[in-house]
Amino acid sequence: MFKILAACGAGVNSSHQIKDALETEMGNRGYDVQADAVMVKDITEDMMKNYDLFTPIAATDLGFTSDVPVVDAGPILYRMPAMAAPVYDAVEKVIKESGKG
Amino acid sequence: MSGIISFANAVFKPLIDLGAAPMMLIVLTIIALVFRVKFSKALEGGIKLAIALTAISAVIGLLTTAFQDALNAFVKSTGIQLSVTDLGWAPLATITWGSPYTLFFLLIMVIVNVIMIVLNKTNTLDVDIFDIWHLAFVGLLAMFFGANLLIATILVIFIGVLKIINSDLMKPTFNDLLHAPASNPMTTTHMNYMMNPLIMVFDKIFDVIFPWLDKFDFDAADLNKKIGFWGSKFAIGVYLGIFIGLLSHQGVKEIFTLSFTAAFCLELFSLIGSWFIAAVEPLSQGITDFANRRLKGRTMNVGLDWPFIAGRAEIWAAANVLAPIMLLEALVLPGNKILPLGGIIAMGVTPALLVVTRGKIVRMIVIGALELPVFLWAGTLAAPMVTETAKKLGAFPKGLASGTMISHSTMEGPIEKFLAYLVGNASKGQITFVLYAALALAAYLLIFIWYARQMKKRNAVYAAAEAAK
Repeated sequence: MFKILAACGAGVNSSHQIKDALETEMGNRGYDVQADAVMVKDITEDMMKNYDLFTPIAATDLGFTSDVPVVDAGPILYRMPAMAAPVYDAVEKVIKESGKG
Repeated sequence: MSGIISFANAVFKPLIDLGAAPMMLIVLTIIALVFRVKFSKALEGGIKLAIALTAISAVIGLLTTAFQDALNAFVKSTGIQLSVTDLGWAPLATITWGSPYTLFFLLIMVIVNVIMIVLNKTNTLDVDIFDIWHLAFVGLLAMFFGANLLIATILVIFIGVLKIINSDLMKPTFNDLLHAPASNPMTTTHMNYMMNPLIMVFDKIFDVIFPWLDKFDFDAADLNKKIGFWGSKFAIGVYLGIFIGLLSHQGVKEIFTLSFTAAFCLELFSLIGSWFIAAVEPLSQGITDFANRRLKGRTMNVGLDWPFIAGRAEIWAAANVLAPIMLLEALVLPGNKILPLGGIIAMGVTPALLVVTRGKIVRMIVIGALELPVFLWAGTLAAPMVTETAKKLGAFPKGLASGTMISHSTMEGPIEKFLAYLVGNASKGQITFVLYAALALAAYLLIFIWYARQMKKRNAVYAAAEAAK
């Protein structure tokens, strides 16, 4: 299973939209994906190690560096499929490169 | 006229008598269908909203019951009259979405947004449907204080138009904060940014009197990393349980119970909040599709929820530092009745501080500390309305002391709540309130116009820098 970490301010609105969209779209593309949604401020280095991909809304300063790939998922929130498509493609590329999913 | 009212009563009274959760299931499902959402998706949203309303009511009941005796003892032992429990944003959002008027205000603002776009008065399409509740809350508060639906709607439109204009004014600053190109469409109409004008007044004063303080700015991300889980929701619940337990002379066992109860309630509020957002999701997509169809593919900025800038560490560093400051202020602030709990991490306060100061962390903290009293007073002002609405939802267990109230310490739009209070009371015809309301609305508009000019100057500098590249 390929694990994704989404994050936003309260961990309940934007990040949940990203989580639901990625799980649905990657599922439709045939990948086994699980995404979690959290508050940005609650992310720690230890937490990040449990994930294969980090999908913030935009550039995020966590106070530490991580080897986990990052895909900015903000365009998913625009609610326009054409604008979200490049995000899905970028996520699919990372999944393929990881050999998971 | 009486025939229309009788007909409306015949149709709607049985619906209202069902209670908020079943009523909103039916209303949300029907509204989503109007916006061409598939029946199964529309019904799914309606059921989720009903479940969220029921769940949030249950958790409010748990928290208020568990803390009632301790809070009474706290008041006796300390003499501090903080009788309003701060539940944070999720219960208030759910309570507000439990009113059909919120859907009415939403529809009005969708129409206003589309008209402003068509007339080229804005370039922002607001897709943050969920956060209409901040504005709807102001309308409901005005009605609570005496406004009729028409007056409340006019107030909602007035503030809503300024919010949309503000999203355009802030757009270049967001690009700067995100290091994003001008083609980035992200902006926001979020209510918390309506504090920008007041913060800008403080910022200009800061420029004149304390500019030397900026050299003490520190690495916000480094501070956040050090705080780690100590700033998480459940940890805050534990602190507050210990704080109230100790000051109310509870035993060790009771203090543990209070701490763990507060911790799990704060966690559950967020969890239930996510159900509730999921409930509104089909309607949000339906409205966005509707607006896009009418705008015929015009390229524009997209109004999102505020956290697309949550990656800026200053937001969280300022919120973490302001939390103990707010607790101290709450204890000594005259007129305040709220004991900060669920809203103590001030997410409704710090994003606007970031935008105006552009990340000067010391300014954010100092100005934040100065403006927090406005939030505490506004939360106190709104407490009777929030409590009464929660009681209608069945969220208050029988047997709670009559003086027990709930609210939110850092809810977005504190100034707008005072406007709602004045406009609501003015609607009753009291000449003093009419005068105060007129003066307050004029002052609110004038300070916004001044702020808009400052932002246009800032944006001109951004544009010149972009052109020079």
